[in-house]
Amino acid sequence: MIGKRIRALFRGGELDRGLDAEVRFHIEMETEKNVAAGMTPAEARQRAIRSFGPMEKHKEETREARGVSWIETLVADLRYGARALVKRPGYAALAVLTLGLGIGANTAIFSVINGVLLKPLPYAHGDRLMVVRQSAPLAGQPATGVAIAEYFDYRERADVFDGLVEYHQMNFDLINRGEPDRVDTGVVSANFFDLLGIAPVMGRTFVAADDVVGAEAVLVLSHTYWRTKFGGDPNIVGQVFEMNDRPHRVIGVLPNVPHYPQENDVYMPVLACPFRAAAERNIVRNRRAFSALSVFGRLKPGVSPEQAAGAVGAICHTFTEDNSEVYRTATSGFQSTALEVREALTENAREMLLLLLGITGLILLIACANVANLTIARMLGRDRELAMRAALGAGRGRLVRQLLTESTLLAVAGGVVGVGFAAATVGMLTTFVGRFTQRTGEVEIDVAVLAFTLAVSVVTGVLFGTLPALGTRIDLMAALKQGGHQSGESSGRRRLQGALIVAQVAVSVVLLVGAGLLLASFYRLQQVDPGYRSDGVLSAEVYGNFSRYGNIDALRRLYLPILDRLEGQPGVTSVAITNAVPLSGSAPGTTRFDIEGRVTDDPERRPTTDIRVASPKYFATIGIPLVSGRVFNALDSADNVRVAVINRAMTRYWDGTDPIGSRISTNRGDDWYTVVGVVGDVRQFGLAQETVAQVYIPLAQTPNGFAGRVLVRTAGDPTGFAQVLREAVHAVDPNQPVEAVQTLSDLRAEALAAPRLTATLLGVFAALALLVTLAGIGGVIATSVTQRTREFGVRMALGANRGTVLAMVLRQGLSLVVIGLLFGIGGALAGGRVLSSYLYQTAPRDPAIFAAVAAVFMIAGVLACLLPARRATTVDPLIALRAE
Amino acid sequence: MATRLDLLQGTLDLLILKTVALGPQHGWGISQRIQLVSGRVLRVNQGSLYPALQRLETAGWIDAEWGASENNRQAKFYRLTRRGEKQLKDETLQWQRMTGAVARILASQA
Repeated sequence: MIGKRIRALFRGGELDRGLDAEVRFHIEMETEKNVAAGMTPAEARQRAIRSFGPMEKHKEETREARGVSWIETLVADLRYGARALVKRPGYAALAVLTLGLGIGANTAIFSVINGVLLKPLPYAHGDRLMVVRQSAPLAGQPATGVAIAEYFDYRERADVFDGLVEYHQMNFDLINRGEPDRVDTGVVSANFFDLLGIAPVMGRTFVAADDVVGAEAVLVLSHTYWRTKFGGDPNIVGQVFEMNDRPHRVIGVLPNVPHYPQENDVYMPVLACPFRAAAERNIVRNRRAFSALSVFGRLKPGVSPEQAAGAVGAICHTFTEDNSEVYRTATSGFQSTALEVREALTENAREMLLLLLGITGLILLIACANVANLTIARMLGRDRELAMRAALGAGRGRLVRQLLTESTLLAVAGGVVGVGFAAATVGMLTTFVGRFTQRTGEVEIDVAVLAFTLAVSVVTGVLFGTLPALGTRIDLMAALKQGGHQSGESSGRRRLQGALIVAQVAVSVVLLVGAGLLLASFYRLQQVDPGYRSDGVLSAEVYGNFSRYGNIDALRRLYLPILDRLEGQPGVTSVAITNAVPLSGSAPGTTRFDIEGRVTDDPERRPTTDIRVASPKYFATIGIPLVSGRVFNALDSADNVRVAVINRAMTRYWDGTDPIGSRISTNRGDDWYTVVGVVGDVRQFGLAQETVAQVYIPLAQTPNGFAGRVLVRTAGDPTGFAQVLREAVHAVDPNQPVEAVQTLSDLRAEALAAPRLTATLLGVFAALALLVTLAGIGGVIATSVTQRTREFGVRMALGANRGTVLAMVLRQGLSLVVIGLLFGIGGALAGGRVLSSYLYQTAPRDPAIFAAVAAVFMIAGVLACLLPARRATTVDPLIALRAE
Repeated sequence: MATRLDLLQGTLDLLILKTVALGPQHGWGISQRIQLVSGRVLRVNQGSLYPALQRLETAGWIDAEWGASENNRQAKFYRLTRRGEKQLKDETLQWQRMTGAVARILASQA
């Protein structure tokens, strides 16, 4: 029986033809009988047909009696729908394209959200990984690294974890067959990879025996580094390279997975890091020694993340109590918690991504409204067709189902276009989101994304199909009698169209206001005076490895000859060395200092400053203006009196008195530096960030001499000097790596990239919305003009002039625009706050932006109405009336 | 000619089964036969006939086969299946019980 039904399903067409034949046979037999009874053939046939009754209805009922008819109905609807769409290729193309843009934007955003926020980490134990997060909010530190001693405490006492591992990143020189290569090195506990659940593709990862004093130094390579630097050499395991003046043997290669918290070239066990080893010897005296660790734990089965966070917080509470003179929780607010690694990696991107999803959702709504309007307009011309089908026995439910099938068909086609659109744009979007999270390596259009797209398409189809379908209350007689004309005033539909336009305008206004605010904010950010001249300066990292340049004298032997050599190059106007360049993404230091004669008792209440190292020509090279006093010169040497230059922001600690001549100390008075000059403020840490207090120390007088950022100001375009710079360094030390060769303009552009992309993205979306909405307004007005041709003809016959008719049409369109504008402005006023964290010196309710958006919409609205309105004025009254 | 009666709900299936039990017959033939045999008292609505045939076929009580009609046209002939025979017996029995009961009630009133 089931078999019969299934066969019936697949043989639906054949059975239908059978049914037709059967009915035809019946009619013929009846006709013959009637002829035999003495009727004329024509009369006989007519009687036969009439006695049979409504043929389509009987057929439909017979089909239903056959069972599983809904699928067949669907197939029939699809076939019919496809045919109907092919017959109107313009409408179909416009609808598919509009929906494709809307669905595509959502698909692209969702693929990023899926890859960044939803997927579990790509490790075997990715869903149970937690990270310890310490902070000192009262001291202005939202996140502080974990110190070695603290890590030991957590490891010993936290029983909520299966294991707790540490991680930090270092840069070391790997001497690879004579070529120096500065590699990003992850320094990790021996069980790090086991805890995360990462198995090597070759060799092995670390074991406990690798992390004991006296063990052979070993390395694990990342998949990318192995492929790019060693060409995927299958014999890499066992090879020995030199690192930190010791031989290191490669023991394994990691699989091709994204690395968190950072990408690294190689990994080494904890004890192999000379810096950490030195610090560990010091933890008895300095509890917070080497507070640069990230600590990860794997939840025990059955332990919730909240429980783990509580346990970590309690351990921190205990050790801060036990060492209250170190942590001073009353003034620092030092605290600790644990959160899921996935969450920690993406917390900065979450809000932005949800905002984008909201925006693309709005765009899809606009697209839906537009296609709904197109469909309504098209239905005006389809009334007769639908009425005909109703007359042949199709029920109202059947007609609505037909319309919904057509709209869903369109939406799914739009979904296909949308996936293509998303595939083309997802790369750009990923780059953008990479500004907010490291977790972008797993963004792809996969099954989950396609399922999302399909679901969105179907919902979209039902959404924009339902509205016009609800308007199908068909007055059979009226529709058929009109003999080919559009059915008359369907005021319900007209109101529906108007409401859709109002909604579209309102949503577009919200988006345009948002884009306007971001653009204004970006413009202001770009206009910010950073306090230095970024043009014409090339910078490079020349960090002497500690093994060969371990003290100030050694470093001077590296730096000074490099500066001398560059100085003499043609085209170079000035050269300097410092420890960090502006806008390179670093965070300000918070070194506490004392001013002589103003020493405060509570060391935690002392003011903080950010310390910079500067060679004499630093200020000239980077273009920081001198405000008063002098900058450094060659006389400020190691054996001369210690001097400092402060920025203007730091002078506030002198309460209006002249700081020049007074002395400051960063080590409670062991060393005093005399302030010799005040220079202008520089936006070192972000264009939008207010300048912090900064102090510059001469290169020759810093305690450890550590600098490493070379700056070269050139007469022309500095990019061509990269090779000159490299050659100068290698002439001094052929084994010295030169990294991160960038112009300061590039760094500044980089700092502006995120706000620029945010503004651009929202700008593009808003423009899209505006375009779609204007097309919608134009379309509705055009339809309305066509419908009212007769009315205009009559009016003009009765003496109305073209201006009056034009004004009528414009009034109709613009009243919709104005209502939508009011709603949109209300929405933007209410919702603007979500943008406030992305705005720089721009109020979310900036009246100028609102006024500009309103003006744009009124002008655009007039333009959209004008074209169809002009058609109304060209109506020839005679033709319009004769058409009746 | 007596007034034509529309069929009682549910009796059409029984009549169709009985009609095709006499030999394979096509739709038109079935409707003619019911009208004829009933002395033109019963009228078969075509709107019910074909859905009913479909229903009975789906239920497996009748079978259909294309064949040549008496005037040599292609027609769909319906035939009672074995399960249909049993169904016919059951329904006939039920019909007789019901009409008997109704008749008894009417008789008691007379």
